[in-house]
Amino acid sequence: MEMPKVTRRTFLKVSATTGAAAAAAPRLLNAMETQLGGKDFGPVSGAERKAIPINCHVCNIQDGAIAYVENDRVVKLEGNPEHVSTRGRLCAKGNAGMWYSYDPDRILYPLKRVGARGEGKWKRITWDEALTELAAKLDAAIKEDPNTIMLKYGRNRSGGVIDRFMATLGSATVVNHTSVCESSKKIGMEPTWGPDIETPDFANAKYVLNFGSNILEAAYFHNPLSQRVTEGRVDNHMKIVTFDVRLSNTAGFSDEWVPVHPGTDGAVALAMGHVILREDLQDSEFIDTWTNVSVKELKEHYKQYTPEWASKISGVPVETIERVAREFATTKPATLFTYRGPAKHLYGSYNEKACMMLPIMTGNVEKKGGYCLPRGMGWPQPSPAPGKPKKASYLSHPSEYPLAGHKVSHLVPFWIADGKQKINVYITYQDNPVYTNPGSQAVWGKLFKDEKLIPYLVSMSPFMGEETALVDLILPDCPYLERWEPESMPNSLWPWLGIRQPVHKSLGESRENRIMMRDIIWKLDPDGKRGMKQFWNFKDGEDYMRQHFDNVPGLKEAGGLDFLKKHGVWPIYGKLDPKTGKVSDKTGREIQAEYGLFKKELSAADMAGTATDKDGTISKNGKAIGVKRNGKNYVGFPTGNRIINVRVDQWAEYGFNPMPTFKRIPWHETMKDDELVMVTFKLNVMKQSRTAAVKWLAEIAHSNPMWINQATADKIGVKTGDLVRVESRVGHLVTKAYVTEGIHPKTVAIPTGFGHWEYGRLATLKLKDKKSEASHGQDDPDLNNVWWEDKGVHPNNIIPVVADPIGGSQGWYDTVVKVTKAGPNDKYGDSQGDWDKHYAAYKETMRYAYNGDLHRKMHPEMASWAGPDSVKQKEGGGH
Amino acid sequence: MLKTVLAFDDNEEDVAAGETTAVLASPAETIADCRARAEVYRLLCGAFVEEPGSEFIAALRTPAALAELAEAGLRFDTDFLDPPHEALIEALAIEYTQQFASSGGFPAVESVRLTGRYKQQPNFDTMQTYKRLGFVLRPGRFEVFADQLGVELMFVAELLERAANALEQGDAVTQRRLEKEIKRFWTQHLGLWVRGYSRLIERTSEHSFFREMARFLGGFAAEEIEAMGLRIEDRDQARLEVPKDDIRVEFNPNEPVCNGCMTDALSTTLSAPDNVRRLEEMRDANKLNDLR
Repeated sequence: MEMPKVTRRTFLKVSATTGAAAAAAPRLLNAMETQLGGKDFGPVSGAERKAIPINCHVCNIQDGAIAYVENDRVVKLEGNPEHVSTRGRLCAKGNAGMWYSYDPDRILYPLKRVGARGEGKWKRITWDEALTELAAKLDAAIKEDPNTIMLKYGRNRSGGVIDRFMATLGSATVVNHTSVCESSKKIGMEPTWGPDIETPDFANAKYVLNFGSNILEAAYFHNPLSQRVTEGRVDNHMKIVTFDVRLSNTAGFSDEWVPVHPGTDGAVALAMGHVILREDLQDSEFIDTWTNVSVKELKEHYKQYTPEWASKISGVPVETIERVAREFATTKPATLFTYRGPAKHLYGSYNEKACMMLPIMTGNVEKKGGYCLPRGMGWPQPSPAPGKPKKASYLSHPSEYPLAGHKVSHLVPFWIADGKQKINVYITYQDNPVYTNPGSQAVWGKLFKDEKLIPYLVSMSPFMGEETALVDLILPDCPYLERWEPESMPNSLWPWLGIRQPVHKSLGESRENRIMMRDIIWKLDPDGKRGMKQFWNFKDGEDYMRQHFDNVPGLKEAGGLDFLKKHGVWPIYGKLDPKTGKVSDKTGREIQAEYGLFKKELSAADMAGTATDKDGTISKNGKAIGVKRNGKNYVGFPTGNRIINVRVDQWAEYGFNPMPTFKRIPWHETMKDDELVMVTFKLNVMKQSRTAAVKWLAEIAHSNPMWINQATADKIGVKTGDLVRVESRVGHLVTKAYVTEGIHPKTVAIPTGFGHWEYGRLATLKLKDKKSEASHGQDDPDLNNVWWEDKGVHPNNIIPVVADPIGGSQGWYDTVVKVTKAGPNDKYGDSQGDWDKHYAAYKETMRYAYNGDLHRKMHPEMASWAGPDSVKQKEGGGH
Repeated sequence: MLKTVLAFDDNEEDVAAGETTAVLASPAETIADCRARAEVYRLLCGAFVEEPGSEFIAALRTPAALAELAEAGLRFDTDFLDPPHEALIEALAIEYTQQFASSGGFPAVESVRLTGRYKQQPNFDTMQTYKRLGFVLRPGRFEVFADQLGVELMFVAELLERAANALEQGDAVTQRRLEKEIKRFWTQHLGLWVRGYSRLIERTSEHSFFREMARFLGGFAAEEIEAMGLRIEDRDQARLEVPKDDIRVEFNPNEPVCNGCMTDALSTTLSAPDNVRRLEEMRDANKLNDLR
């Protein structure tokens, strides 16, 4: 009998045609975490472990998780199968979260600085001593000017507590971190369609354009969306085309990776729009009905953005631009996703806007498999709440950046140095700009060491990060497994509310943020006579949560906070099928999302007392609540006029182009042959600064060689592992090279999250590399099996500040560098930045602001603009 | 302060009626021994459970106390002997924070020393032991872990005190049972880490007070273990420290090796590669150094 000849080809053919049979074959092995459905058992005792649902907070995706607790100790973390977005899965970071609680370098008591700032000498003091000292400083600052109290936060998921605290003190000087995150993406989107992010329906899409997002590893919302990307790719045979300077894991998973010159995604997107409009592939009905421009206007505007023009700028071939544009426009449904790639540039807002125009002009908005609005839920704040501070703060809303609703935090050190606003007390919460911001140590380190500029510096932190190491007083905060926090994230097409709840008693004397803020206020106003204490009327974190959740309609009937304590999330849409990994309803079918949110019709009750203007905007009590289209009253989009604003008139007021456009980065145009653009990126196990001390994660990734293209490396004679010197206009560093074809030849890329000089023994390896010094860390059991010697090199010292004059974003990917083989005096890990050079970069970037001298030069098309004096300053918005 | 660390719960005692035991030393001697040991444990607890208090340091700096400590081999430097009282208290508080209570130091916590993390199994095991024997842990000036060094030492001190009291009342059964508890506690906890840890603190402390108290702790621990007839391997650095470079030598070059059974033929066949040295060569210290 002749046996069948099985080659790889026949094998694949067989698998393609027998998929249904294979699917029907019994599956006996399933992922334990989904199979057990939220249960876990001790391997020794066999006893069921206590399962406490939470929302993960290692990064900011807010995955639904379960902490398994034995003996008041977290022994395991895994996904919550009742959570509709993350469906029982956690990423590597989430699985390692308990390291935060038990970190041997965790700060467990209030610490007062006793040496020079940054010297590392501390004295443990009691909470009462700490609060008394801080209250005295705050009291004095309030008497002089409440705005001299500044609070800057990094990751703030307190649900409004920080704003309440600062409003209670009367200070408007609250600064976030968003400008180093994704603010220009937000500002690119918000005036156009309302929300600050999109939710692509990857699972049902047939075609995906991905501009500069590494969603399978790091971007918003990595875990829930990467699940849907995989489903779409595998189950729905969707095509993904990724435009990125680097062959990321997402690019590698795509059908096509198209390398682009950094900062030119916007030009490619505009050229694709040009092709779509030129070839009449747009959705004219959608454009004419739901946007504030006509198809004719749009066609006329896009004529200038030819594929030839974009190709010359981006390096993407004309035929690729044309082919991908046609594929995107003719494959339905299609969606688009962006993250930092387009947005983190001098004119990142324009880039984002250019990208989001593609799903808009093809009518893929709010359709199954399309480009959807984010879904989230809110919750009420405890009452009474303090009013807004009386006086505006320059640092919060700098007048040069009136459109940057998410602030421009990375320029704050220079503004303080320039005397724009006096600071008496600086409080920091889950921030670490000395590490995470452009200029890092050279800029923020210098600022914080200057006791004239920052007379009193306080950190609320569980860890001795680079910033906390420089403060005067440390208040020990709790890591996320010991906190109460409300949550809701638009990380899938199903809205939800959730909580973080303490899974065990907080360690040492650490206190969660809302409790320590309450205690500060109580210290300032012990008898309530100052009118502050009334806003802090809760006995503990749980009590505060009850004030949030016990009266949310629907949740209230389900049990309010008690329901959330038991399930971690509300509502529960269905049951997780452990075989498919999808959520099914009572009928056994996968739950379906609701689409077309903007086409919901207003009820008669909604319409009562409304007025409709000539453009169809329906207003009630002075606020637009809907839009009339084709004789029907729709809720529309959450913008001021309830439609999509392709033309953003507010931008034009400040001399910016209100229509989709692209501005090339001037210093990229003049790059010399031996100059490259340096970008940064994140690996799947690292976030900005708080993961290097997590041993399980550091073991996976602990060093960060610089990616460089083979051809570029050949030119300078560099091989993988060689030391290279990377020099920018503000400093230099020495690191190792990783030579690869997977990066654009004019780009080098360094992963972030490495090269810490603080953040504990695991992040710094300090105790390991100083055997002869007193610390003798090699004897320490924490380090006994830390087999790696390389902690990596942090690149931020040599990245100058750049601020998008519209969205305020840092231009992380605009840095021009020279790369050479390291010289005899170069040492691995060298990293030097210069304050004066960073300051010069700050002055330079301010020239692009709407009132700067380069603004007009960059916008010749806005020649009719009457200039900065014509603009009446408005109060900054955003959140 | 120290007395609040372990609050006593008197309800736990249950002595098997009528059970007797042989006491090798006289009861009076045993009572005195228990009380003396308890004092040493308390002294060490006072040094390590939290920042040394004002009264504690004042008592230690009396000439009589210093003389006794000197007799025990403790050699304090001028940083302990000379400063004014308040300045010394402040200096010790800062040094304590650096060593034991802030990031980058060496927390005096068994979980950290043995597992690299706070609040692991030793914490729960000690908590259970305290509970079983009728103790509850309460905060002193600061809240500390159940497996913090000072708490573990205080626990043994309390057991010794109980043992002495029991024997004073003629209850040798309880005394013997408590001695067993102390041995068990040493075997399961203190003996696993304090000797190595004391050496670490002796080396890392920048103040002679903690350096000398750590030396004292290490010496006392060794004495106690020996006196109790225990054999416990210290898992916190008590193993012989072997320079990594020497690990390539897989045998003891000082052991006699005859090599007589190997014929010339075999010797040729099995001749080692060039990078492997003959035993005779290994005995030569100079050549051994060449290998490193």
